[in-house]
Amino acid sequence: MIIKSYDELSSLELDTLKEIGSIGTGNAATSLSALIGKPVRIQQPEVRIMEYNEAIEWIGGPEPITAGVLVGMSGQLSGIMLSVQQLDFVNLVLESMMERTIKDYMELGEIERSALTEVGNIMISTFINALSGLADLDIKLTVPAFTVDMQGAIMAVPMAEYGGQSNYIMTIGGNFICNGKEIPCRLLLSPDIRSLNFLLRKLGVNSGE
Amino acid sequence: MKMAQGSGMLITYALGSCIGICLYDQRIKLASLIHIMLPLNMEPGRKNTMKYADTGIRETLKLMESKGASRSRITAKIAGGAKMFEISGGNLGNIGQRNIESVRMHLKREGIQLLKEDVGGSVARTLLFDPATGMACVRSYGRPEMIF
Repeated sequence: MIIKSYDELSSLELDTLKEIGSIGTGNAATSLSALIGKPVRIQQPEVRIMEYNEAIEWIGGPEPITAGVLVGMSGQLSGIMLSVQQLDFVNLVLESMMERTIKDYMELGEIERSALTEVGNIMISTFINALSGLADLDIKLTVPAFTVDMQGAIMAVPMAEYGGQSNYIMTIGGNFICNGKEIPCRLLLSPDIRSLNFLLRKLGVNSGE
Repeated sequence: MKMAQGSGMLITYALGSCIGICLYDQRIKLASLIHIMLPLNMEPGRKNTMKYADTGIRETLKLMESKGASRSRITAKIAGGAKMFEISGGNLGNIGQRNIESVRMHLKREGIQLLKEDVGGSVARTLLFDPATGMACVRSYGRPEMIF
């Protein structure tokens, strides 16, 4: 089996990942909607393979503070998935679930952090369930971890874990639309390279020659 | 890797598990700032050697020497190596600590005195270094600025 790295993927392989991204984010929007009790849909879901620095730009720079939920994957797909929760997203959740909003992440107490962790966890889980269903893969997820800190440092976690293999990361973006508001969806998926290739083979698109 | 001589603040942002290494020759005020992500460069012929502690330090020192720096005068200050997430299940998330150990070891191996460090913990750091004074400054969220 040829191990292809991210920048060697064919357009068919990229299209397949985009399709998965589309379905996965649709599922994530549905689960988010159920959690916050409001209709949520995903607009223009976009899966891209980005170089690390490009991904930092996409997220809005390295220093801004953001919340992040991280889940580890093992089994037939190894890697890390990250849900980056910027202020608009945090306030969508807090306002719906607790009738409050924040101006600064310092205002997050235990209950709020718990709620955000759970929302991130469920979104990631439904995304991965869609992926494992489509590709017929058995994927185990870890308990979620939560932090609030500089965006660049949060995103460096999947990069460092698999950074020996690649300078690239899979970004899953788009906008959640809720009550007329557009709230950015910012998910990152960092499968290890062998897993990525295995996934593509299972989907029937990896031209292993 | 960034380099400056005499003036021009060197900055590297949002060091999480990564480590920022400031190398400084005080006599000629030549400073370099390396942002390393991983402890060891396992494969020869890799393109981005500066993101590994071993090859990053080694090659930066060579570059500094080619500009007139002397290894015996060069000193180091480092920051970073945090654990950003408390991840359950073993191996994930220990890279910060491995980076700290690798950087300390390779600086020692290259004969470079490590003057000061602000490493570990769980907060991200932005590191600044002033080649005019040789002072480093660390900014973190929710923590006062540190100058060393």
